[in-house]
Amino acid sequence: MNPDGSLVKLENVHKWFGPNHVLRGIDLTIQAGNVVVIVGPSGSGKSTLLRTINLLEEPTEGRVLFDGEEITDIRTDVNKVRREIGIVFQSFNLFPHKSAKENVKLALEKVLRLSDGEAEERAMEQLSHVGLAQKGDAYPGQLSGGQQQRVAIARALAMKPKLMLFDEVTSALDPELVKEVLDTMKKLADEGMTMVVVTHEMGFAREVGTRLIFTDGGKIVEDGNPSEVFQNPKDERFKSFLSHVL
Amino acid sequence: MATAVAEPASRPDTRGPTAPLPLSLFAAGAAAIAIVILGTLGIQAYQVVNGGPVTPACEAEGIEARLLGAEGVCHIIEGIRSRAQTVVWLLGIVLGAGAAAGGWGLYKRMPSKRQREQCIAGAVLGVQAIALSALLLWFRSGEIAPFIRNFFNAEVLAGTIDGFLRGMLNTVKLAFAGEVGGIMIGLLLAVLAISQRRTVRAPALVYINFFRGTPLIWQLFFIYAIILFGFGIQIETFTAAVLVFSLNTGAYAAEVFRAGIQSIERGQVEAARSLGMTYTQAMRYAIVPQAVRRVIPPLMNEFVILIKDTALVIVLGLTAENYELYTFSREVYSEFSNGSAFVATAFGYLAITLPLIRIVNAVEHRLRSGLTGVVGAGG
Repeated sequence: MNPDGSLVKLENVHKWFGPNHVLRGIDLTIQAGNVVVIVGPSGSGKSTLLRTINLLEEPTEGRVLFDGEEITDIRTDVNKVRREIGIVFQSFNLFPHKSAKENVKLALEKVLRLSDGEAEERAMEQLSHVGLAQKGDAYPGQLSGGQQQRVAIARALAMKPKLMLFDEVTSALDPELVKEVLDTMKKLADEGMTMVVVTHEMGFAREVGTRLIFTDGGKIVEDGNPSEVFQNPKDERFKSFLSHVL
Repeated sequence: MATAVAEPASRPDTRGPTAPLPLSLFAAGAAAIAIVILGTLGIQAYQVVNGGPVTPACEAEGIEARLLGAEGVCHIIEGIRSRAQTVVWLLGIVLGAGAAAGGWGLYKRMPSKRQREQCIAGAVLGVQAIALSALLLWFRSGEIAPFIRNFFNAEVLAGTIDGFLRGMLNTVKLAFAGEVGGIMIGLLLAVLAISQRRTVRAPALVYINFFRGTPLIWQLFFIYAIILFGFGIQIETFTAAVLVFSLNTGAYAAEVFRAGIQSIERGQVEAARSLGMTYTQAMRYAIVPQAVRRVIPPLMNEFVILIKDTALVIVLGLTAENYELYTFSREVYSEFSNGSAFVATAFGYLAITLPLIRIVNAVEHRLRSGLTGVVGAGG
């Protein structure tokens, strides 16, 4: 681990999409065991910020360090880094031609080179962890949105990552299915997983988050303990954002 | 995610009652078209069974009794010129006109949907009967004797069944070999063509554009000449044709594969890559298995097109045992100075292509119903 105990470190990260300057100098250090919740208006760069951490978005400028290693260095094997960082997407992104169990097993066999037996065992273990042990043979099209998202979480967790990223994972779900996914995430936080969560769920931010970050215009404008920040917001834009979502 | 909506057991029929007037308009239209088609076919069937020797009228137009198949040709001509045939076509026009006028004039005033649809159907069938009868009358006013003699001589065809079947087999062989080669070339080209790197992409795009942008007949001729004279390789025309068909189909298949791969949601690659898979692994385990299902219908369409394009090998000149359908009919023409085999050949092509087209439609329907994500998932 890093000398300063940090798991993730972003240094002056900028991202341009064509003419759009989406991230404008992000500096962020995340300690192991933290549950960092990122909120902000749409287009504020919060998802892009999250996706730079596992290099799904490559920063145009700046450095990203994971576990003490500079992963933005062109010589770093990004595939190796990504094994240790799980990510769950808004649109689930399960492989539709594979069953729930095969979704979880695929990377275990092809990336971690586990034997079929080991992969099977670990896949079932993770599916039971998210409460879907009996759905292993179902295809994504046969599962509800909430179940699909829990399979996606199991798929990411099966790699035994050091960090989990959640990109608006409840935004595509029907309201009655949100809770089962949030409960799964809460359980994960209670077990001590380091998490970075982009969400609109303020209740989750307050209850589970250990740190709240508000982004606007590609910058971090509010950063602190969730209960304090909610109680006593400093930034004007954050105040107005809160008045709209709470 | 697409979830199949359960079809109700039976939809209630809400089109309302019928009535004698719209029903009879529909019946008139249907009768008109049926009389034209079945009457014409019936007269020809009658001629086949009951027709006599070559008539003086036929003799006068050069259908001499000593010619091979003259009797059959004369039967067809006499049937077309018979008074019964005139009655059939005129009846079709009169009945059709009645149905068309009545249906068109009344459909807006019909009180129920069923009655309106019956009026419209009667009018449409009536118009079709008029058009078909008029076209046939026009055709008959021309010089039908030489036309029938040249293209509808059954006895010329009778001795060529073996050649016809061999032609069908060789057509399928040529097209199938070309398609298989084309799929392999296309897969390779598609992988190159979707590369982020311009140096990798450029040659593939040049190839694809060249083979899509020049006529296949030119490619057959020119590439055969290059192999024969440029490289000095003695190559059989059949092999050369398979090669050119593969090269050509490869360009089209590459575009099909590229579209198929690019139609897979971006999130699929992201999910695979974020699990630590390499680009190649993501393609192989996540993207290509999904893309393959989507490209089956367009690839089969390419195959149907290729089956028809095999006719172009005529420019290379095949050896006798390799004659495909079109060359076969061309050879029959040379031998008998009679083009009846060209007509038979059309049916040969249809016998191959129609079942394939049906399969394509069925596969497309199945893909669109979204069942493939669940059924037959393997790999």
